[in-house]
Amino acid sequence: MAQDPTSFERFIQGIIPENPVYRQLLGLCPTLAVTNNMKAAMTMAGAVAFVLFGANIVISLIRNLLKPHLRIVIFTLTIATFVTIVDRFLAAYMYSMSKALGPYIPLIIVNCIIIARCEVCASKQSVITAGADAIGQSIGFGLALASIAGVREILGTGMFFGLRVMPLTWPDWVIMVLPPGAFFTLGLLLGTFNLIESKMAKNKNKG
Amino acid sequence: MDYFLDIFLIAIGAALINNFVLYYFVGICPFIGVSRRIDMAVGMGFAVTFVITIAAFLSWTITTFILIPGAPISSFIAGFFISKAEAAHIDLTILSYIVYIFAISSSVQFVEMYVKKFFPVLYKSFGVFLPLITTNCAILFACLVIMSNVAGVENPADAWGLGKALTLAFFGGIGFTIAIVIMSGIREELEFCDIPKSLEGAAISFIVAGILAMAFMGFTGVDSGLKKAMKSKDAALSSKLHILDSESQIPKYLKEAEKIEYLT
Amino acid sequence: MEKFKNNYIIQAWLVVFLSLCFGSALAGVQLVLSPKIEANKINETLAKVPELILGKEGVKRLAKEGLSLKINPRIIQIKKNNRIISYKVFQAIEKGKVSGWVIKSSGRGYADKIELLIGLNPSLNKISGLFIIEQKETPGLGNKIANLDFRKQFISKNTNTAIIASKTGATSPNEIDAITGATISSRSVCSIVNTAVKDLRSSLKKNQIKPI
Repeated sequence: MAQDPTSFERFIQGIIPENPVYRQLLGLCPTLAVTNNMKAAMTMAGAVAFVLFGANIVISLIRNLLKPHLRIVIFTLTIATFVTIVDRFLAAYMYSMSKALGPYIPLIIVNCIIIARCEVCASKQSVITAGADAIGQSIGFGLALASIAGVREILGTGMFFGLRVMPLTWPDWVIMVLPPGAFFTLGLLLGTFNLIESKMAKNKNKG
Repeated sequence: MDYFLDIFLIAIGAALINNFVLYYFVGICPFIGVSRRIDMAVGMGFAVTFVITIAAFLSWTITTFILIPGAPISSFIAGFFISKAEAAHIDLTILSYIVYIFAISSSVQFVEMYVKKFFPVLYKSFGVFLPLITTNCAILFACLVIMSNVAGVENPADAWGLGKALTLAFFGGIGFTIAIVIMSGIREELEFCDIPKSLEGAAISFIVAGILAMAFMGFTGVDSGLKKAMKSKDAALSSKLHILDSESQIPKYLKEAEKIEYLT
Repeated sequence: MEKFKNNYIIQAWLVVFLSLCFGSALAGVQLVLSPKIEANKINETLAKVPELILGKEGVKRLAKEGLSLKINPRIIQIKKNNRIISYKVFQAIEKGKVSGWVIKSSGRGYADKIELLIGLNPSLNKISGLFIIEQKETPGLGNKIANLDFRKQFISKNTNTAIIASKTGATSPNEIDAITGATISSRSVCSIVNTAVKDLRSSLKKNQIKPI
């Protein structure tokens, strides 16, 4: 069997080579739902990062005690607890944002990214590696959300983080901030990602 | 009459106007993953509809009888340890997410065993999808919507009954089925199309889904038109007003708020 | 048999232990944060009341004089078509006199629910302000109902006649200009306001708390 990846490899892998959204197609529900403006997208990325980090650390700490047939129960229990904490925290300190995100915060529980990372990495490797993995994956997820939210907010409202970036004559493409825009943006960005990758692979083969 | 109008509007809203997949983006993973063939899509759709209705029943029951402040079971149990008046304020909604996710996964297991034993034909058509939908966001989403309409309302009289909760869940599942079947029909045809290499697979599916979402946007506003058409008949009755009590049913936090003096 | 039972508990000890840990963690979170969340919920509407009744200038004047508004929130229920409908109402009292009312109401808009606050003068015959708390109308069209330009049309409208959103520009005093391309959203706001005022006007007059 191949050597398990080191902490640094795990960290790097999460950002581009194993990007949770573009490469693994995981966690698509928040990716589409909360990306009509940057603020909501970044809050969501932060919440996912906290839950992923917390769950990875806890699972990694108890990895030697896990029984194979009970591990999914423990993963779910851990994730649901951390999600509840994030949810209450947002309601207490960022009330308007918590209202805007609504049910998508509790839906982090069934976000496949977290349970996949617990299964693939945290239940097998040390705390440091699991932590690095969580940070890498969170950055990858955050970048993916930022790319989609950036495109949608700029084209849809002419703003970025609520500040005007397009000229005032820009006709807002309202469709981009509505549900169909989410699908179009993700589809086209995914295509672009594939295109760049195949070009790079070709260049490598030639060289 | 009004009650049935409400039920009807919830059903139309969940199935078409605010379609679970194309408006709320829940259940995207099976929508993209299991929509290659129509027969599989139909099986997945029915499995989700089935489980979502059971999960809605469970979550409504748990929320109403255990989780919300003043729920009968929790205040009865707490009544043994603390005074009755204090027991009525026990709020367990912080546990709701954990409870729902376990209710969903255990009901999925149970349904799978039951269907396998007693309805082998049914099991053959959608049994394989049952374990997959434990982590389907659509199920948890339905539970959360029901919770916000039971526990989140300001006045106990506005809380949803079981009928409304089941309607939302069942028609949400039907909406999911409609979306996934249409999608799989399109994807079967897409197999014969010449798609740019980089868009093959998931990417083109998302673009198709975007066009579908645009089509479903056409349903927006249908319900207000329907409501108007049905309301005009009994509008004459609405002039009769009665005043009920105003003090007795104020929630606790509001009573406290009365003491607040607002400083500008 | 005894051994069998033990076996189950031993196998699940980690689950039980973790549940206890997480349960106490959540209890801690609840204890620390729940007062803050409740306060947020109340402030969301309460903070808007003075401006809706007195207007921006009125609030400034109040601050200058160092006075405060006393606000009585309560729930009023009415029975209509054999159905109980409840409204949250805020009664504002300044210097021992009722200075106005704010009604919280909601209704179906074009895309989703619209939730709003309506400010009324003490005798309940004029609108003194309107604020949209929550709406999910079409961005760029329907969501303009939350803009001041649209909302200020309602100020000092008489409530004895229903307010109508006109597509072609307001002509009579009880009409307002509908937003271009969002007639349904504009009409929804008007109908929410009309219904709430009609439902509550008589009951509020009879039921007011005597100012102290």
